[in-house]
Amino acid sequence: MFGIFKPRTFFNLASTSVFWLKLIFIFSIIIGLGLALVFSPIDYLQKDTVRIMYVHVPSSWISLLIFLIIGICSFVSLIFRVKVFSIYAKSLAPIGLVFSLISVVTGSLWGFPTWGTFWSWDGRLTSMFILVLTYILYFSLWSLIKDYNFAEKITNIVGILGLINIPVIKFSVAWWNSLHQPASITLTAAPSIHSSMLAPLLIMFFSFCILSLIIFLIRYKYEIINFRVNKK
Amino acid sequence: MISEFLNMGGYGLYIWLSYAFASLSLVSLYYSSVKKLNSIKTAEYLYQTEKSEEVSISAQANRF
Repeated sequence: MFGIFKPRTFFNLASTSVFWLKLIFIFSIIIGLGLALVFSPIDYLQKDTVRIMYVHVPSSWISLLIFLIIGICSFVSLIFRVKVFSIYAKSLAPIGLVFSLISVVTGSLWGFPTWGTFWSWDGRLTSMFILVLTYILYFSLWSLIKDYNFAEKITNIVGILGLINIPVIKFSVAWWNSLHQPASITLTAAPSIHSSMLAPLLIMFFSFCILSLIIFLIRYKYEIINFRVNKK
Repeated sequence: MISEFLNMGGYGLYIWLSYAFASLSLVSLYYSSVKKLNSIKTAEYLYQTEKSEEVSISAQANRF
């Protein structure tokens, strides 16, 4: 059932595709930054601060997406006892942590000129802060627990429990009063954002996805060799 | 024109700080990952070398 996810598949991919992925990343990030910082129009209300959106929003999307994958991997690892899934999750965790931190910090820097404050304990910001803490907990447990099998079990539970926070983050702006604006892009409706702003946003998201994939492949290769060396 | 671009309509500090923080975080994550991989590759290479040396020593010992 999980044949395609066998350790060799991604290990070989890490050896062969990183060079090409780096080329794609450099090409897309140059275009993305050019559009985001130079060619995209200023917002009529937020003026130039809207340019922070091109870093903030893709980082938030990626941090949520990565935790969703970690949760699914943890579930598969715990229920079906397929070890490689916990290695996928472990390799993804630092990437998700960094993107969630970028999301929170850039959000604060965007918040000050638009809301007049760096932070407010409302639904969206608090649930995003909880996501950062969950990532830190997940990451720390792997480092602190020396017994591999026990660490795997505990982190799988944290990964699954952390999934509860994902819909809370997504719907927090609808459930509670928030300084944060509602989503401009959803999967079910046409985006309410102009194409001149949507294009750089999607290109930056694509670049960050490619960078995440590069770092994931490097870290996955590390985890597999580490597992092999420690097993010996 | 460059100072106007850097100033970003008076919001330059927030915008450049955001981009700088994101860049620094991602660059450090990338390099720390590469460094970790290189260190484990060295460890694995040393282990393989040690193992092959042990094999050749035991093979020599068997010959005598």
